[in-house]
Amino acid sequence: MKIRVIVNGRARELEIDVHALLLDVLRDGLDLKGAKRSCDMQVCGACTVLVDGLAVSACTYLALEADGRSVLTVEGLADGESLHPLQRAFIDAGAVQCGFCTSGMLLTARAMLAENAKPTRADVLHYLRGSLCRCTGYRKIVDAVLAAAENAR
Amino acid sequence: MTVLRPFTLHRPETAEEACALLAGLGEDAAAYAGGTELLLLMKLGLLRPRHLVDVKRIGGFGDISDGAQLTIGAAVTHRAVEQSALVRSRCSLVGSVARHVANVRVRNVGTVGGNLAFADPHSDLATLFLTLDSAVELVSSRGRRELPLAEFVRGPWETARASDELLASVRLTPWPSETAAAYVKFGVHERPTLAVAAALRVAGAHDGGGGRGDRIVDARIAVGCVGPRPTRAAAAEARLTDVSITDVEEAARAASDVAAASVDPADDLYGSADYKREMVAVFVRRALRIAAARARGAEPGERFPHAVVA
Amino acid sequence: MSARPLRVVGQPVPRVDALEKVTGRARYVTDLTVSGMAHAKVLRSPYAHARVRRVDVTRARVLPGVFAAIAGADLTWCDPYYGPAYRDRPVLAIDVARYEGEPVAAVAAVDEATAEAALELIDVDYEPLAPAMTLEEALAPGAPLVHTGQPPAGHFADLSTLRPQPGTNVCHQFHFARGDTAAALSGADVVVEDAYRFPSVQHVALEPHAVLAAWDETGGLTLWASTQNPYSVRVELAKMFDVPLARIRVVVPHLGGGFGSKTYAKLEPLAATLARAAGRPVRLAASIPEAFQTVRRCASRVNVRVGFRRDGTLVAVECAADYDVGAYADIGPRVVQKGTYTATGPYRVPHVRLESRAVYTNTTPGGAFRGFGVPQLAWALESLFDVAADRLSRDPVDLRRQNFLAHGEEFAPGDTPIDGKLEESLGRAAEAIGWNRTGAADRGRGIAAMLKASVAPTVSEAIVRLHADGSVSVLASAVEMGQGTRTVLAQIAAEVLSVSLDRVTVVQPDTAVTPYDQTTSSSRSTAMTGRAVQIAAEDVREQLLAVVAQRLGLATRDLALADGVVVAPSRRLTYAEALALRFGMSGGELIGRGVIAPGRTAAPLGGSTPFWEMAVGAAEVSVDEETGAVRVERYVSVADVGRAINPLTLEGQDEGGVVQGLGHTLLEEMLYADGHLLNGTLLVYRVPRADDAPSELECRFVENADGSGPFGAKGAGEGSLIPVSPAVANALARLTGVRLRDLPLTPERVWRALRARPPRA
Repeated sequence: MKIRVIVNGRARELEIDVHALLLDVLRDGLDLKGAKRSCDMQVCGACTVLVDGLAVSACTYLALEADGRSVLTVEGLADGESLHPLQRAFIDAGAVQCGFCTSGMLLTARAMLAENAKPTRADVLHYLRGSLCRCTGYRKIVDAVLAAAENAR
Repeated sequence: MTVLRPFTLHRPETAEEACALLAGLGEDAAAYAGGTELLLLMKLGLLRPRHLVDVKRIGGFGDISDGAQLTIGAAVTHRAVEQSALVRSRCSLVGSVARHVANVRVRNVGTVGGNLAFADPHSDLATLFLTLDSAVELVSSRGRRELPLAEFVRGPWETARASDELLASVRLTPWPSETAAAYVKFGVHERPTLAVAAALRVAGAHDGGGGRGDRIVDARIAVGCVGPRPTRAAAAEARLTDVSITDVEEAARAASDVAAASVDPADDLYGSADYKREMVAVFVRRALRIAAARARGAEPGERFPHAVVA
Repeated sequence: MSARPLRVVGQPVPRVDALEKVTGRARYVTDLTVSGMAHAKVLRSPYAHARVRRVDVTRARVLPGVFAAIAGADLTWCDPYYGPAYRDRPVLAIDVARYEGEPVAAVAAVDEATAEAALELIDVDYEPLAPAMTLEEALAPGAPLVHTGQPPAGHFADLSTLRPQPGTNVCHQFHFARGDTAAALSGADVVVEDAYRFPSVQHVALEPHAVLAAWDETGGLTLWASTQNPYSVRVELAKMFDVPLARIRVVVPHLGGGFGSKTYAKLEPLAATLARAAGRPVRLAASIPEAFQTVRRCASRVNVRVGFRRDGTLVAVECAADYDVGAYADIGPRVVQKGTYTATGPYRVPHVRLESRAVYTNTTPGGAFRGFGVPQLAWALESLFDVAADRLSRDPVDLRRQNFLAHGEEFAPGDTPIDGKLEESLGRAAEAIGWNRTGAADRGRGIAAMLKASVAPTVSEAIVRLHADGSVSVLASAVEMGQGTRTVLAQIAAEVLSVSLDRVTVVQPDTAVTPYDQTTSSSRSTAMTGRAVQIAAEDVREQLLAVVAQRLGLATRDLALADGVVVAPSRRLTYAEALALRFGMSGGELIGRGVIAPGRTAAPLGGSTPFWEMAVGAAEVSVDEETGAVRVERYVSVADVGRAINPLTLEGQDEGGVVQGLGHTLLEEMLYADGHLLNGTLLVYRVPRADDAPSELECRFVENADGSGPFGAKGAGEGSLIPVSPAVANALARLTGVRLRDLPLTPERVWRALRARPPRA
């Protein structure tokens, strides 16, 4: 079937299987490799993308549900070569190690900031409760999100 | 398995259409809303429906409507419940609990109907809704019926829904305004070890500084996760009826012991039976303490490690 | 050593791969495709122990879209066994499946759906056998034997003397002794002893194992692998397929985490075998549940006995440790001997008797995991130290300080002397946690120290190239798995060659391009690979200075390097100009080489440790006594690192190490029942989440430039994890009087222990 999706700001018309998962359509169909397959059961958040601004687990989300909607992946966060404040903050705070969780963390944080521009540490922890990282111990990730929120104001 | 087996997707726009599809396709079809449970089971190969009947376009399924009762359509997401001003005004605890279901991604996509129809014994909503005189609306080609939630949820992942029936909505009877409530779940894993919903309706609570007649006229306690399905702890509730709100601490102790004695948990990954039983006592007590504080107009700040308080 | 202050070494520069990771451009194995690539799926044994009577792949083979379907019996054209200690692990089960999840058959197909469908067409006849699931079961008389034959030894120097116990499940034994512990203990004033258990835990790197294998038309093999040691993988494959090392190429893109799970060959042999059978490239990617069926930490049961004099002097340590290495030895034997070697911790102790065994069980193979056998023993020793302190009425910090090995003191004859100041780490950790300040009544504080040797002997080689435009390439095979090694190597080269960091490129590990590096593990990459890079860069520097000196008729000591420029008394030449002088044109390059190969020594493990990893952890905990839930409110880690080449990445590493340590301390355990793993998915295996991290977490470093690595650096990354469990348990004991000996300290375990506690006086 055909779907029409705005992916990272660009209108796309895609031919997909009804049973195709959004993660595979993005990674294999559109070569957007930033979202990762990890736990494959909605627990870890490595596959997070935003659909109409809402974080979803692309590993367990039918691609056809994105029809008529906008999808944001990590590749769409920066404005050309100009990094999003969250990306900048992650680099500066040392919040990136192996990088496998990074895309999911960035997009989840972006969704949160769109809803709540002045998050407390508790707000960030609530939102990131479903995003796992095994490398950083989370501290620098939380610091980076709070720093980005601060800088954006 | 990382990919799904092929299926045909049907997107009816009326309940009649949907029911006709379910009746015609039988065991080969599954109702599909958010898919957070269904698609996972399909990936694991535990379910292999060749037809998915998408309920998200059915008129009314995505609505939250007011009336004597609050009606939440089956396709309403946890997020929509969390954000709903109507829910906040009629029964704010429902929105607070919805805010803590699973994680933010599941909340954005997963639905109330899907959650209840899946009947996970660890369901937050099923536990809470038992304290709200909840009933589900089931529709089929044969007609429409309402079932109290306690009859609908039969056991672990088992409901009274016939295979040709569709869960259309859930109705809640919001508590009267002089009710204070709390929901606490505890556990280390993704699914909690136990959950307690406690609601205390206090008579004479509007007296402000004056009246000392603040008695609990209706206590509701539901316990989830520790048994095949969530249940009301009726014997425990009886221990609180007619108790003064100032004596609630002592009555809560008795009530929690009774609640613990009334459950029959199994040993599993979420805990041993004796531990779960003791945790029921602990958290019924804590939930009652928080509800009682709220009844007195206070918002207790106490939090417990590995517990979520709503 | 330059007298000039350091420009880039020691600076918290952003990591060189940060940009590609935050923009989603970083490539991991499952992001790679090659033309004609097939997708692989693996059929795994549902039994912990079973005879494999028959595997019929014929129906799978003929499914349209399937390129190959193979079983163990098909592997007649290669040596199907691999393994770094013992070559005991078949690519696919041959005659017997030894653990639940062992690969029995594999399929390569046009896509994943077809491969999955093909698996369902494979018929296997299993004859279940009684399994040995635990140490107790495996060591019992008449226990089912996981292995009945004697497998050949693998390829590592320090394991050339493997000591199995034939006819049992013991595949290696390690003994170490000095003095007379029996006499010392009978004469000691205080003797404490107990048994401690450490659970099976899983690395849970967010990227599970993945490999893409492709044979070329000349019979050479190329793999893109998520591996921590491409050279070890290469040697395994060379032996298996009887192909010269030069014809096997292992390329390593970014790893989505490792922590030891990706050391030594794991899925590479299977992918390469499938690719050969399929006649096309094959990508094999494990899922997280499959990672649980590939490798884990070796669980342990440790008995430790320590004796003290009344004045607090430690006189004797006896340790008997059994490690569960699972169905295949992997690097388990080295884990056992390495871990046991420092069973005495960072202390001076004249009388020692250490015995340990590596024991096979019918479970997921145990292998390397951050800490490498030391967490299991530190859990026991550091807990007992506090028990002894209590008996001696001594402060635990004080008792440790009294017995610490001093800087320069011998640990064992023939091995490197202690190269750090434990006292300094201890002092700073105690100060930071407020050890001597009265704490809140509902909080308890605990402390623990660690000492670990790095693997020896090892070899690291590096090449540095100064290009015609003055930019630099660093060729070294240390693998970037998040720990920041690419950045550190770049900083070292930039420092030595006096160029800005953005002029340095660290090439991805590729055995066809980047020279030999034994392994990215054991906290060794900065000290060893980094030293090789430093030497290679110095080689380039000397050549550059010589070129200019010769041209200008000066001595090299009259020249200096500064910011990409060679500075002479009356002239300045950019590197590009200097190279143009050398080659008479714009072209050519200077190539430098560094080799670190200390070789075998008389040290007990066969090589002297290049550095000692030492660190102290201090925890402040609270406990909800009604539920047993422990919360680590504050944690301080102080690691003695010599020189923090990059303080920002180092701090991140240690913060991660602490939180990963909190995993096995409070939450993680692989649980088995009736031969089956119950919690092999993230739904029911609980790793730390963001809200599990301590509200206050401080990771600090002692830097006395006393290491043998570049600029005085030593190693780091494991020291932050090892003290976590005993520090937390000690804090809990001081708060509640309850002493737990089995990890993890789940709420239920703590609750049970609190209920069993005798009423406090």
